[in-house]
Amino acid sequence: MVDIPRRIPMTAPLGESAWRVRIRRWRDLLAAVLANPTTVIGLILIVGMLSVALLAPVLTEPNTPDPYQMPRDWAALNEPPGSSEYLLGTTNTGGDVLYGIIWGARTSLRLSLIVVAATVTVGTIIGSIAGYRGGRVDEILMRVVDVFLSIPELIFALAIAAVLGPSFRNIILALAVVFWVKYARIMRAQIIHVKSNDYVDAARVSGDSGWRIYLRDILPNAFTPLIVQATLDMGHIVLVGATLSFIGLAEAGLAEWGVLVSEGQAGISAGRWWASTFPGLMVFVWALAFNLVGDGLRDVLDPRTETAR
Amino acid sequence: MQIRDYILRRLMILPVLVIGTSIIVFSLTRVGGSPIGIYLSHEMNAAEVAALEQRFHLDDPLPVQYLYWAGGVLRGDLGWSGVAAAPVTQVFPAKLAASMELAVASAIVAVILGVALGTYAGARRNRLPDHLTRIFSISGASMPLFWFAILLLIVFWVNLGWFPIGRSTAEIFARIPHPTGLYTVDAILSGDLGALVDAVWHLALPALTLGYGATAIIARMMRSSLVEELQEEYVDAARAKGLPERLVLRRHARRNALIPTVTVIGLTFGFLLQGAVVAEIIFRWPGLGRWMADAVLRGDQATIMAYVMFTSLLFLFVNLVVDVVYAYLDRRVVLGA
Amino acid sequence: MSLLRGFDRRVRALALLLVALLLLAACSGAAEPGDGGDGGDGAAAGGEEGSEAAAAGVFVHAADDEPISLDPAGVEPGEGGETMILQSYERLIEISPEGSELVPALATEIPTVDNGLISEDGLTYTFPIRENVTFHDGTELTADDVKYSWDRVMTMELPEGAAGLLLDSVAETTVVDPQTFEVTLNEPSASFLRSVGTAMVASIVSMDAVEANGGVAAGEPNEYMTTTMVGTGPYRLTAWNRGENLQFEIFDDYWGEPANLDLRIEVAPDPDVRVLGLRAGEFDMIETDPSFIGDIEGAEGVEIYSEGLLLEPIHIGFNLNVPEDQLPPEDTIPADFFHDRRVRQAFNHAFDYQAFLEGALGGYGDFQPHYIPIGMFGYDPEAPVYDQQNVEEAERLFREAGWWDQGFTISVITEEANLFEIAALVLKDSLEALNPNFEVRVLAVAEAQFDEAHASDPIPYAMWVKNADPFADPDAYMQSYVHPEGEWGQIHGFAQGYENPEQIASLIDEAALELDEDRRAEIYSELQRLLYDDPMWLIAAQEGIVNAHRDHVQGFLMNTQWPRPNVKFALFDK
Repeated sequence: MVDIPRRIPMTAPLGESAWRVRIRRWRDLLAAVLANPTTVIGLILIVGMLSVALLAPVLTEPNTPDPYQMPRDWAALNEPPGSSEYLLGTTNTGGDVLYGIIWGARTSLRLSLIVVAATVTVGTIIGSIAGYRGGRVDEILMRVVDVFLSIPELIFALAIAAVLGPSFRNIILALAVVFWVKYARIMRAQIIHVKSNDYVDAARVSGDSGWRIYLRDILPNAFTPLIVQATLDMGHIVLVGATLSFIGLAEAGLAEWGVLVSEGQAGISAGRWWASTFPGLMVFVWALAFNLVGDGLRDVLDPRTETAR
Repeated sequence: MQIRDYILRRLMILPVLVIGTSIIVFSLTRVGGSPIGIYLSHEMNAAEVAALEQRFHLDDPLPVQYLYWAGGVLRGDLGWSGVAAAPVTQVFPAKLAASMELAVASAIVAVILGVALGTYAGARRNRLPDHLTRIFSISGASMPLFWFAILLLIVFWVNLGWFPIGRSTAEIFARIPHPTGLYTVDAILSGDLGALVDAVWHLALPALTLGYGATAIIARMMRSSLVEELQEEYVDAARAKGLPERLVLRRHARRNALIPTVTVIGLTFGFLLQGAVVAEIIFRWPGLGRWMADAVLRGDQATIMAYVMFTSLLFLFVNLVVDVVYAYLDRRVVLGA
Repeated sequence: MSLLRGFDRRVRALALLLVALLLLAACSGAAEPGDGGDGGDGAAAGGEEGSEAAAAGVFVHAADDEPISLDPAGVEPGEGGETMILQSYERLIEISPEGSELVPALATEIPTVDNGLISEDGLTYTFPIRENVTFHDGTELTADDVKYSWDRVMTMELPEGAAGLLLDSVAETTVVDPQTFEVTLNEPSASFLRSVGTAMVASIVSMDAVEANGGVAAGEPNEYMTTTMVGTGPYRLTAWNRGENLQFEIFDDYWGEPANLDLRIEVAPDPDVRVLGLRAGEFDMIETDPSFIGDIEGAEGVEIYSEGLLLEPIHIGFNLNVPEDQLPPEDTIPADFFHDRRVRQAFNHAFDYQAFLEGALGGYGDFQPHYIPIGMFGYDPEAPVYDQQNVEEAERLFREAGWWDQGFTISVITEEANLFEIAALVLKDSLEALNPNFEVRVLAVAEAQFDEAHASDPIPYAMWVKNADPFADPDAYMQSYVHPEGEWGQIHGFAQGYENPEQIASLIDEAALELDEDRRAEIYSELQRLLYDDPMWLIAAQEGIVNAHRDHVQGFLMNTQWPRPNVKFALFDK
């Protein structure tokens, strides 16, 4: 067991192609990451859930016309797990809990990928603008970021989804609006760090365009904190999304873990624990897996770069 | 000098942030529902509705509307809550008291357990207790509160019947006065032990549930800062001097490790604030969070806006205080010891 | 452990105190309290034993919703306020606890043609008023109070209330003398006494109390009356703790048989809380619906009463008056989709009735013909009924109407998290399993939002799920839900869909005036047959009546003609 996680500094000396340095160090990175057992567990879990999500149409018969709607068997309401043909039991509307787990993974994957992709893009663009332009623009943008950060995430997303109307699409939108700010900060910090270095002036003098500096020095070095944040967010977003669905902001009968837990609540006083326990467990496992990997990455990569949360 | 500048700078930004938050909240009211939705009540007739529209200048451009809305807010007009069938400001204090009681109870649990656990783990780095604590911390951060709460509910309420849900037992509630709205405090003020026990008994399960995640946050921070602290030179020096481990721990390391832990107070507070929504739903706790959840489902704009405004301001304030305190402490540590 | 010793004394003390408190709390919580209550707010379920119900002398009922208004002039039919009004207010005549006969209450005699209290032309009803009846505020009942009560309803004409019941039939109210009250109708009616005389909106309130607290103003609710009750009934409202409960006390000066126990009605929208509370003995009775009766069955100390059917069938509406461009964008149906009765018949054949009955209703329920519920006068057991899914017939009709290959997408709006949502889901599954080209989108929204949509004229959705209002007379159902010029008929354009709207209209109108019961029943039988082929609704089921209470409740009886939960608590004892 490694005593202190071996730190692999990914900040490359400026000027040398940071990309080449990175690729060279990837083998080291991989080794260090895999040396941490909890990170490995996280990776295994992620691979497991991704497989389930991607293979969903193969693992179960997709529901028609909309596979993301739970299939209902009105003749088999509230079946306990292990009975009949329903491995994990059925809900109070005859929904197959196992189907919900599998397609819920797919739903979660969609949710997290879309939101993370959107927030990383928007965040880096805005952060880049703030970092590059500096001055007035920077001040204004950062105040906007501060305002967004002063509203607690769940509450902000809750309010947005509430005014937009209860639907899963609006949950995605609400989460995207709330979660872009940290990426903006990361990007901006990276740019400022580079800007403040004399090297850049020298490079400018020698004719290097801003774009080249951006691509060659800034992006690669921002890459690591961005990746760590994105990994953590993959887990966190599904957690918050499931909470919003649980509160009731998604459509009825959706094959989504939060919705299932909410619909399964009604039976617990009668001893019907399975409809809410299994889907909730999946949310936990999903968030745990990405947290483990995200933490492992953060330990191994240069920890002095800014990683919020 | 630096500290004062820092504090001043933070204070100067504060109004900007407050206004910015209010603009966001105002925009939310314009995005969904009707613009005067927050003021409409079930009983109003057409004439009253028209009067409202006039008063808030709905025909004028948005910035003007914003000013009138903000003016209304500053005058204490937060609208009518459809969920509570009463003005927001009338219902708010009681719900606030309920949520505060829960938050404080959870915080007490979290601080005591978190500091203890973090210390325990940090002092035994990389041995079994440390790993177990690490698992606990990560599980706390990944734990969907709604699932955890339901699990505890199934075990402790449905099956074992050890804990109740809701905030109090009707008869016991009725037999003492409630000046503060905090049932534990009210019971102490009345000298009624039975009422105090009843209040704590109802508080226990939600506080433990909500406290779990917060404990994880604090434990984790405590652990890592203690680990760093123990690597400092003065620790080796103290050990070399022959000081018992306990004393090293108690007198120096832990105290110093507590300082970075202050920084997670903001984080913990945010966690408690957001977790309260779900915890109150599941444990049927009549606080702000549950009110908000009902409001969200029933399109009660006024409550939603008031809640967002309030929690943001609170969050802002707490973070400011924490940052300032930390800056102050950090400076001391750097200069002294 | 070195851990504890490492702590500051203060922190240690605090921790110990907390632990001690928790232990104390846990111990006292688990023990059975000797006296005093364990009941109320929090339900503490424990194994099989229930603790004794709340302090003896109080009957505790757990309702599933909170009243909006306690004013007879403003209460909406079917909402929680009616329950309260039933306990605290009284009317001139009531429906007898045992069956469906009328019994005198604040009047001393039921007007009939024979006893001369109904005039020859059938237009004037005379009610002798009972003497020595006191209101909760101490004033004595006279005919002035009766006239005042009815007049105020008609003057205020609150849109959410049932003022229409009085306005539609009553031409004039007169005080002949302090003990005699007279009503003159617009036209003779076979159903006046039953539909109007016993309705909650016709409750008698204290004139003095209202005048002293805001009086009467046209179109405006009276805030005092919305939150307070001043009636003549056996229960007097003492407190309304919003979101928590309503408390009633035995009214000592009640003119009739006094209540045995005080009453507390807890507001518990959560079925879990109600179920556990009942099992634990904290509630003496709870509001239930068939879908979770299965959870209570067999629990110790609990008795389930199930007999008869509610008179509020669960139905799905067809909109024949679809407003242009107001349907959800995903809908692909034309505005005249439901004008074609083959489509309406096809929907009726496609619905999986048995699945809904067995699934959602746990078997408690039955199927009725259009549009008279089982148990109502005029119900014809021989009439054809939609009670089985018939895929072949549904397919044939959809093909004939031209929709089979083309397919369609249609939205149905419903309240969320209750039987209506389940009916909508069954509809969705039935249609989508029939033909993959059919798509039914279920919009399950919060009650307030649904109510808003449901109250619109016309509804901006093609279909919706709700239950009918419970009425006392078949004419009311026909007028509301069938007549082309009736309430729903006008808003939703039934006239455009009926094969022969004039025939339907004239039959209904004839039955409304027909005083001979046999002839009346004949007309209704014919209507039920006609409506089978020309349905304006899809009737998912009639819910069975279920009630769950502790077995120590004595004197239990229900009457479906009373507002939910169909009981008068004053009759009970423990």
